[in-house]
Amino acid sequence: MNKFATVIMAAAAAALLVTGCSKSDSSKIKVGFSQVGAESDWRKASTESIKGEAAKRPNIELTFSDAQQKQENQIKAIRNFISKGVDVISFSPVVSTGFEDVLKEAKEAGIPVVLFDRAVDVSEDGLYVSFIGSDFVEEGRRAARWVLENVGENANVAELVGTVGSAPAIDRKKGFEEIIKDHPGIKIIKSQSGDFTRAKGKEVMESFLKSPEADQIQVLFAHNDDMALGAIQAIEEAGKKPGQDIKIVSIDGVKTMFEAILEGKANCTVECNPLIGAQLFDVVEKIHAGETVPARIPSQEGVFDSKNITKEVVDGRKY
Amino acid sequence: MKKFKFPMRYVPISATILVFFIVYLIGIISFENFGSSKVFLDLFVDNAYLGIAAIGTALVILTGGIDLSVGSIIAFTSILIAKMIASGSNALVAIALALVIGILFGMLQGWLIHCFSLPPFLVTLAGMFFIRGCGFIVSEESIGIKNDPVFNFIQNDLTIKLGKGMNLRFIVIVYIVVLVAAIFFSQRTRSGRSIYAIGDNELAATLMGIPVGRTKIMTYTIAGFCSALAGVVYAIYLKAGNPLNCVGLEMDAIAAVVIGGTLLTGGVGYVFGSLFGVLVLGLIQTLIVFDGRINSWWTRIIVGLLVLAFIFMQNLITKISKSKSKSQ
Amino acid sequence: MNKTSNKFRHLVWPLVSLALLLLFNAIFTDNFFKIEIKKQDSAQAPSVPGNPPASGTSWITPESYENVSDPTEAAAKAAAEEVEAAKQTVKESAGQQAVPEKKDDKGVSIFGYYLYGTPIDILNQGSKVMVLAIGMTLVIATGGIDISVGAVMAIAGAIAALLISMLDAGTCIGAGMGPSVYWIIPVLAALVLATIAGFWNGMLVAGFGIQPMVATLVLMVAGRGVAQLITDGQIITFDNPGLVFLCNGHALFLPFSVWIVVAMYVIFGLLTRKTAFGLFIESVGNNERASRYAGIEARRIKWLTYVICGFCAGMAGLLAASNIKCADSNNAGLNLELDAILATVIGGTSMAGGRFFLSGSLVGAILIQTLTTTMYMKNVSPAIVAVPKAMVVIIVCLLQSPVFRAKVLSIFASKAAKGGVQ
Repeated sequence: MNKFATVIMAAAAAALLVTGCSKSDSSKIKVGFSQVGAESDWRKASTESIKGEAAKRPNIELTFSDAQQKQENQIKAIRNFISKGVDVISFSPVVSTGFEDVLKEAKEAGIPVVLFDRAVDVSEDGLYVSFIGSDFVEEGRRAARWVLENVGENANVAELVGTVGSAPAIDRKKGFEEIIKDHPGIKIIKSQSGDFTRAKGKEVMESFLKSPEADQIQVLFAHNDDMALGAIQAIEEAGKKPGQDIKIVSIDGVKTMFEAILEGKANCTVECNPLIGAQLFDVVEKIHAGETVPARIPSQEGVFDSKNITKEVVDGRKY
Repeated sequence: MKKFKFPMRYVPISATILVFFIVYLIGIISFENFGSSKVFLDLFVDNAYLGIAAIGTALVILTGGIDLSVGSIIAFTSILIAKMIASGSNALVAIALALVIGILFGMLQGWLIHCFSLPPFLVTLAGMFFIRGCGFIVSEESIGIKNDPVFNFIQNDLTIKLGKGMNLRFIVIVYIVVLVAAIFFSQRTRSGRSIYAIGDNELAATLMGIPVGRTKIMTYTIAGFCSALAGVVYAIYLKAGNPLNCVGLEMDAIAAVVIGGTLLTGGVGYVFGSLFGVLVLGLIQTLIVFDGRINSWWTRIIVGLLVLAFIFMQNLITKISKSKSKSQ
Repeated sequence: MNKTSNKFRHLVWPLVSLALLLLFNAIFTDNFFKIEIKKQDSAQAPSVPGNPPASGTSWITPESYENVSDPTEAAAKAAAEEVEAAKQTVKESAGQQAVPEKKDDKGVSIFGYYLYGTPIDILNQGSKVMVLAIGMTLVIATGGIDISVGAVMAIAGAIAALLISMLDAGTCIGAGMGPSVYWIIPVLAALVLATIAGFWNGMLVAGFGIQPMVATLVLMVAGRGVAQLITDGQIITFDNPGLVFLCNGHALFLPFSVWIVVAMYVIFGLLTRKTAFGLFIESVGNNERASRYAGIEARRIKWLTYVICGFCAGMAGLLAASNIKCADSNNAGLNLELDAILATVIGGTSMAGGRFFLSGSLVGAILIQTLTTTMYMKNVSPAIVAVPKAMVVIIVCLLQSPVFRAKVLSIFASKAAKGGVQ
């Protein structure tokens, strides 16, 4: 009997962990959203944009899941959304491949899918209804164009690559190289992975600045703002002036980077807009009402440098 | 009450099974559609690769060793297959090559560990770095497997249909076959019993005349094979290869094995336990997705707490039954 | 063989490997050993807005750091910056006065100069793993393992960043003390919290008898979540001079972090080698039951090693946060547990427990960092960095393995013997 009692107690403890039992309200649009993770300020802004918007709309019931940067978790989450019987599935893919089967399963179950932030690579059409978000290759191109316009035809570039193998790192590099290909004066003389983090960005930049080519580096191209911010510290410690001795161009457009540009420590950031929660739920509502939606909805994005960043822009920045 | 003596060695694994079903029941009570057979089947579909990897890990842990190269081998195998198919090779050739590489790599690790008495942790850690890097050399970018006849055949014709929407996929069948084979191997063959003997006391095993070196190398070879097979299953599951996938999967595999009642010191436990270890981890994830109101960081904390709760319950049940059997 | 050589024998092979790696760099990497003496100016550049230059202005042509290290110019620049900084806000200027030996170039001259170069970077960047490895060594010596250290680092960094930002905003007790003093509070809080985390691990392992890897797995998974909970998922930046000094400041020519490592090494070295504690640890690692029968409080010893490991992780977390002047809960210390374990094992400590070498672990940590830095310096493609790293690890392990050395020696010996016959 004793054993039975303990088991019951243990079960009760587990029940407490799985907090609250929710039975859903059938009048609401049930949306399942699978986020990549919480790996950066940018991602956090994106999550908050979605959650905030969902809370604002009374007809939306959001089921949120965090994949912790793992594709395998994301696929499990989408399968579970299907089992749970949500009305619309939306997710921000960790990578572009590998979602074909699970998307087919969603299609068979009659659940429309909206992609967010990153597209997927599938062999047949109709597996997803719409894609809202940025174009990483274009971001790389914009960064390269800024270098061309503001530094000139001759520049030695050091590149801080994102996580090896990740879609933003590959595409941003691709876009950047596509533009500079026609301008032989612009050369990438150093290229290493900084894993999209400040600590690695700083560590790699430190070693760049001590390499024999250190004095030739004129431009730093970082695949995201965090790495650029780490690199700025390394440049300062080496006794150089970030933003002047070495021009700094990066991608994302987070608030801290805007502040750095305002201080003159960095030069340019190509915006990659995470605040597309409102766009997402507009699309979801339309789909639910049976309206057709465009297959590709671009998000509004700009390029920011010292010309268009003011105190007001920085203060108005949410992330 | 009648005297019933439950063998002590089955207690930890029975505890895990019991706890699994209790938590499953809680899920059914708490959430709509949780009890559907699709959820249960999906547990197998989504975790088949982890399960296969955990079988190899379980055998290695039973010898008292450890294998950290699991996740990297899966990633390498999947990207190798995808790359070969993308460049025009036959899928079967690609799969065979991937399995051979996995076997050879496992053998190499086992050889280094045994012949130079290097710590398994280090050798397989280096192996993890090495094979992950090799994956990136094959391709930095993820590659999809599209319209391949073999993969289409596997998906369309090797699936047992169990009624509407319920399919027993090929990868689940592979997992079950490998699991049964591994259970038979570890319990009923001479080599399998040698693994337990070595894990329990290597010196004693040597003195008894058990071929320690051969058995250890064989175990790591099997682990390499299991990881490569998990990679093949993963490639079928995703229809893609990605050198970045399965980072840290070895920890999940180890956790699954240990939750399944195997001791990390070696010699104690069952391969069968890894099945429930894997299911428990999958169940935790499913619960969190079904709830769907949890923050990114709370997800991590709750996964940690649930793992802890499982371990505690398992410990509790084990202790209680131990004290009972003593009092009898 | 005499006693001293026995004592340092375990160090020989890690040191040989390190020497080989350094030799490789000396030959093949230009500038690797270039160490300059610099005056402290830019290392502590105040993070206040300078004059935003118009885009595209060529303010200064890229100049080499030798120029910057020119004392007069640097001093002038520093002075100019200081004036500017003083103008900004009262709070900021209070921060400037906080640690005078860093800002004031006219202060004690020995604090005014520091060494600058790749080897120094290796020491500075390697300090995190070195600190971690000290704690990890003790845990591994008892036959345990702690895979939660990376997550504990994130927690420590998070709490420190949160408290310092609260103190800066004046919403925490102790803000009245001024930034020159109150940075002690977050440092202590981080260390205390990390020690509690270690206590928790110790409780699970020693108290409840759960297997170390699974017990610490709980905190490894949950800990990072706790850190994100503390910072609300955001990256919190800070510029308190005291906190920034930990990993960016210099004392006696070297980065301050190196002195932290030295201090921790001395403390735990003395604790384990000059008291019975070290013997107890080795005895527990060798045979727990036998130790218990011999009257050693095996559980308490194990528990204590996890507490120490937690403390070390806390210190490493502070260094990591200080280095980048922010707490990045998602990435701080990610996978560093593997590096710490690797450093420990390279240093000659047995994973099975019962034998440990703190100095070896430090050499191991330096070896790993040297390897990483070499990859950056040699422009190895980021995609394949892992491959040469793995090979070096295996080579170092083989060099360490007595079995391997004996086999190689026997090959040479047989060849020599054959040669002799002919």
